[in-house]
Amino acid sequence: MKARAFNPQVFLEFVSYSLFGGYMFYLVNSGQYLSYVTPRMKPYLYFTATVMMIWACTELFRLFRPQHKIRSFHCFVLVLPILFLLLPHSPLSTDNLTANYTGGSAFNQNMPDKANQQLPTSSSGVNASAGTPAPAESDISTSTGSQPDAEIPNTANSTPSDTQSNPQEDTVAGLSGMDAANKKITVDNDEFYPWIAEIYTNMDKYEGYTISITGFVFNDPEYLAEDEFVPARLAMVCCVADLVPMGMMCQYEKASELTVNTWVTVEGVIHKGRYEGQDEPQITVKNITPAQEVEGYIYPY
Amino acid sequence: MLIPIYVVTGFLDAGKTTFLNNLLNRHDWRDVMILIIQFETGEEEFQSRYNNCHSISFPKKSLERQPKQIVEQIRSLLQSRDFNEIWIEWNGVAPFSLLQSLLLHSSLRGLCKIQKVLHVADAAHIENLLGRTGGSLLEQIANCDFIVLRNVRSSTIYYRIRRLMREINPGVDIYEIRAYNDLYKQIFSKKEQPINIFFLTVVIIVFMYFFTKPVLEMFQIPVNTMINVFLGIILQAVPFLLIGVLLSSVLQVFIPRSAIERRFPKSFGMGMLVAILGGFCLPVCDCASIPVFRSLVRKGIPLPVAVTFMSATPIINPVVILSTYYAFGGDKTIVIGRVCLGVISAVIIGLIFAIRPPKGQVLSGGALDGLMCSCGFYEDTESITTFQGKIGLFFRHSKAEFFSVGKYLVIGTFISSIFQSMGTKIFTSAQSGTGLAISIVIMMAMAFALSLCSTSDAVIARSFSGQFPMPAIMGFLVFGPMMDIKNVMMLSSGFAKRFIGKLLFTAFIVCFFVVFLLSSLGGM
Repeated sequence: MKARAFNPQVFLEFVSYSLFGGYMFYLVNSGQYLSYVTPRMKPYLYFTATVMMIWACTELFRLFRPQHKIRSFHCFVLVLPILFLLLPHSPLSTDNLTANYTGGSAFNQNMPDKANQQLPTSSSGVNASAGTPAPAESDISTSTGSQPDAEIPNTANSTPSDTQSNPQEDTVAGLSGMDAANKKITVDNDEFYPWIAEIYTNMDKYEGYTISITGFVFNDPEYLAEDEFVPARLAMVCCVADLVPMGMMCQYEKASELTVNTWVTVEGVIHKGRYEGQDEPQITVKNITPAQEVEGYIYPY
Repeated sequence: MLIPIYVVTGFLDAGKTTFLNNLLNRHDWRDVMILIIQFETGEEEFQSRYNNCHSISFPKKSLERQPKQIVEQIRSLLQSRDFNEIWIEWNGVAPFSLLQSLLLHSSLRGLCKIQKVLHVADAAHIENLLGRTGGSLLEQIANCDFIVLRNVRSSTIYYRIRRLMREINPGVDIYEIRAYNDLYKQIFSKKEQPINIFFLTVVIIVFMYFFTKPVLEMFQIPVNTMINVFLGIILQAVPFLLIGVLLSSVLQVFIPRSAIERRFPKSFGMGMLVAILGGFCLPVCDCASIPVFRSLVRKGIPLPVAVTFMSATPIINPVVILSTYYAFGGDKTIVIGRVCLGVISAVIIGLIFAIRPPKGQVLSGGALDGLMCSCGFYEDTESITTFQGKIGLFFRHSKAEFFSVGKYLVIGTFISSIFQSMGTKIFTSAQSGTGLAISIVIMMAMAFALSLCSTSDAVIARSFSGQFPMPAIMGFLVFGPMMDIKNVMMLSSGFAKRFIGKLLFTAFIVCFFVVFLLSSLGGM
């Protein structure tokens, strides 16, 4: 004699599993997961989604098992992340990270807490504990479009998309934008990191090459001298908690006049420089043009 | 109108009938027509003082053999007379689900409905009974709305029993038998539907989000950053937690305790070696090692070995080694240093637990743990033998464990996302001009507060290498994976607070000295 009665707890659990599993599938398929974790997590997220779906199916067997004491709050383990994922929030941008530099003027850097803004190519945990509020945060929902330079038409003929179709380009380790004849490298936005890694490892080979690379201006005086800045991109090593600016150091006399966090395309010549006692490739800037903001992070490995 | 049913459960001689005699024979209730159904005949008999109670009793034998007749008898009684309430004294050794099946039988379903279930327990005996009386008692406790305790001699006993009961039925209220006013209030209070509360909470969270976010941002609290960091850590931790939970469930369900006891190396040294090798073969982060640690302890692996396993796993597995290698730009000394110091610390922590075993309980469930897992299913895992049954148990077990650990993961992640978005300046500003020892302590404290996944912490550590000396970075790399807010929270889902405290303290001291001494020796 087995009684059957609808079990709301089991139903709620079923809904939670399905929602969570389904949303994981959606996140991965739409590529939205890249705002939170690196592409390496993809198989793990598929695994999670699959387990959730299997769990949801097994719940169905118990859907009509009566139960007196109904519990529901444990489902928040799954529902809370979904809620936060669904509620409007913008992916972290440079403003969130380097909020204490948004003013761009020297006196802002008297703030005592800049210590955690880290080196290019290595760098810091998330820090928005700024002295000055980030202006972009107020209209976060419009997200990336609110960049001051976004509307400036990109007229520079060194736009990556132009050169990508260049028939003369050589390929180096599967990278595009290499023009060995003219000793010129045009770094495609999708190949930001591979190119930097390539240049770092074969420093001597690329000395004297002209490079064109796009990034946001990072010139934290904690790490960089007056005449230095980095056209950086945000690199995610594991998850959004470890976003760091990454890029090649540039020598530029008026580096301190650049507005921090604006997007620029830098054209210059690669030379061997020294930073903190180590040889590294650096760029002597010839030309800086405003650029459109590049969306997405870079994922070193 | 369905007639409300109030069920009194409790073991034999817990005092159910006495309780009913005292509760129901009230002068102001004399006009309420009550049907009392007893499924047990104890020493005391129910006696109605005002003639408003009709009682009927069924022996346990007929409960087992002729449940249909019982249902029929109750039905005819309910139809022949007008009852306002039904009180059931349930048998102490019969499963509660049996009563539910009876009352949900098609001929009774339209007449009456369970309103409240209360459990009567004798404080003098309940602790002894729980370990030995099988699943029915546990099931009764787990299903009750509140517990009535009698024979409470001191407040320490009361608190001890309350902890025990809440282990079985989280958050359950407990009343002493003399507190009749509270009892009446509890019995007749309207029960909120948990499902409704759940959806109400969801709505409240959404509203809170929209209203408090602008306010918090006015005070320069980076809510957006916090949410992103929270989601980043959760998305990264949940898959690993799932792996851990599934592994631990396989351990719990498919591998009998005796097999582990037979196969596992007897000697301490070999045990340690197996623990470390096992850690190397488990390519997961600390989120996964904690559920596995819990089942290892449950399955009777010696505690020191299990502790070594838990502390070493997140540091020495291949994924972590690789990410450390990359983060420090191929610097092998860091990788080797991290692995060696991690293994040394883990072994020393294990040794300390071997030399001075923790007093008292290790697992928070105490004696109950052998019998049931925290998942609330009372079949003895060893008694189910069919493969199909085991698969079912495996699923229920892994789900329940996922929720019980996941709860703490969410809380721990939330706290650490606050820390992370607040920035690390409180740590870095404390650093300036201090000695090496202080630097190490600061970095270890930071590792604890940030609760990074051990697969990603190397990059963060690298970012501090400008401000902190190398040994301090090492402290961060070694201590962080072993212990952090997230891990401590997750441990508290299965272990006694005192044990967690001791583990945390030992790990901290050991890591500190290992890093401090060895790094000054090695001149790093």
